[in-house]
Amino acid sequence: MKLRNKILLLGLMLIFFCQAKVALAQVDTTNAGFVAKVAPGELMPISVKLSNFGAGRRVDVEIKYAILTEASEEIYVSRDTMAVETTANFVKTVQVPFDTIPGIYIAKTTISYEGQQVPVSTQFPFTVERKILGLFQDDFLRYAGVIIFFCILMFSLGRLFVKRRNTTRFAPVDYSNIPRQNRIFYELISDTVMGMRQRVGDAALDIASRTNGLVIDEKTGRVLKFTESPSKVVAQLVSGYEKVLGQKTSFFFRKT
Amino acid sequence: MAKQKTVLIIEDDKSLSHALADILCPKFSILEAESGEKGVELALSKHPNLILLDLLLPKMDGMTAFKEIRKDPWGKDVPVIILTNVNATDVKLVENMVTNKPLFYLVKVDWKIHDVAKKIEDVLKI
Repeated sequence: MKLRNKILLLGLMLIFFCQAKVALAQVDTTNAGFVAKVAPGELMPISVKLSNFGAGRRVDVEIKYAILTEASEEIYVSRDTMAVETTANFVKTVQVPFDTIPGIYIAKTTISYEGQQVPVSTQFPFTVERKILGLFQDDFLRYAGVIIFFCILMFSLGRLFVKRRNTTRFAPVDYSNIPRQNRIFYELISDTVMGMRQRVGDAALDIASRTNGLVIDEKTGRVLKFTESPSKVVAQLVSGYEKVLGQKTSFFFRKT
Repeated sequence: MAKQKTVLIIEDDKSLSHALADILCPKFSILEAESGEKGVELALSKHPNLILLDLLLPKMDGMTAFKEIRKDPWGKDVPVIILTNVNATDVKLVENMVTNKPLFYLVKVDWKIHDVAKKIEDVLKI
């Protein structure tokens, strides 16, 4: 895992203003209040800066890295020893134990060197949180919530769109301009085609447009005219739906 | 209390007729006829509010019964629902259907019994 991606975790900066003489040693930390987040088993980088050691001579410094619970119980400890002449900057990675229970922990770094009179340590808090599918649990739940919200939104909009489309697509066509004695056939065939279109899709329009004696608008299904006996056209249309689609045809008569 | 509306079921398939009657009887008064002849007789004497009519019937077929009912002054406007196995591929059947104007022409295979009952309820506004 790249250290740059762990920028949130670069928490600790130890600044030791140490002079050759132990009595002048000073400690400063600049990471107070900065909380990082890691998952159990992950590596946590700690940025360390040691400075003002020695006056032209090397000093052996032992650095102790520890992870503490909020109750100050150590769950991880490691030690490094390094010779520091004046300053040293490095990044130390510590592995958070796999069995760490999610919660808030303290990363504590302590140094000791020959002739030290005052304990020098610094620490910062961080959070241990489990990961789900590569995301921290909190983030996962947040993203999942957002995704679910958008899915519901899209589903609702989709249904609304389909409903609206069906309302207009399958709406009964008005044939009030057709003479009364023939209107019933226009309505009957039109409604039958629309009903079948709802059941089997645009194949219903194709069959209707191929029916002898029937002229329809192939996009809307509107009946334009009959060139044969309307009763014969109805029978042929019903027969076509049965032969090609295997569908029986029920009829609905509009109220007059 | 308003008088219960009456539904006449003209159907020779007793199991279907009884099943429909069972579903409808709490809300409607049910009359049943197994032939077209008996159906016409009951229709013209009892004046039901709706007739559910099969086409393939003994003695008098359903379409003939339908015409007989429509000939009567009372019967010319009574709501009729045809419930049949016959797909309307015959020109004469279509002509008769358009002339006599049932509310619905339902092919049995496409309709569940409860949906038919619901249609009846909708027509009679229950």
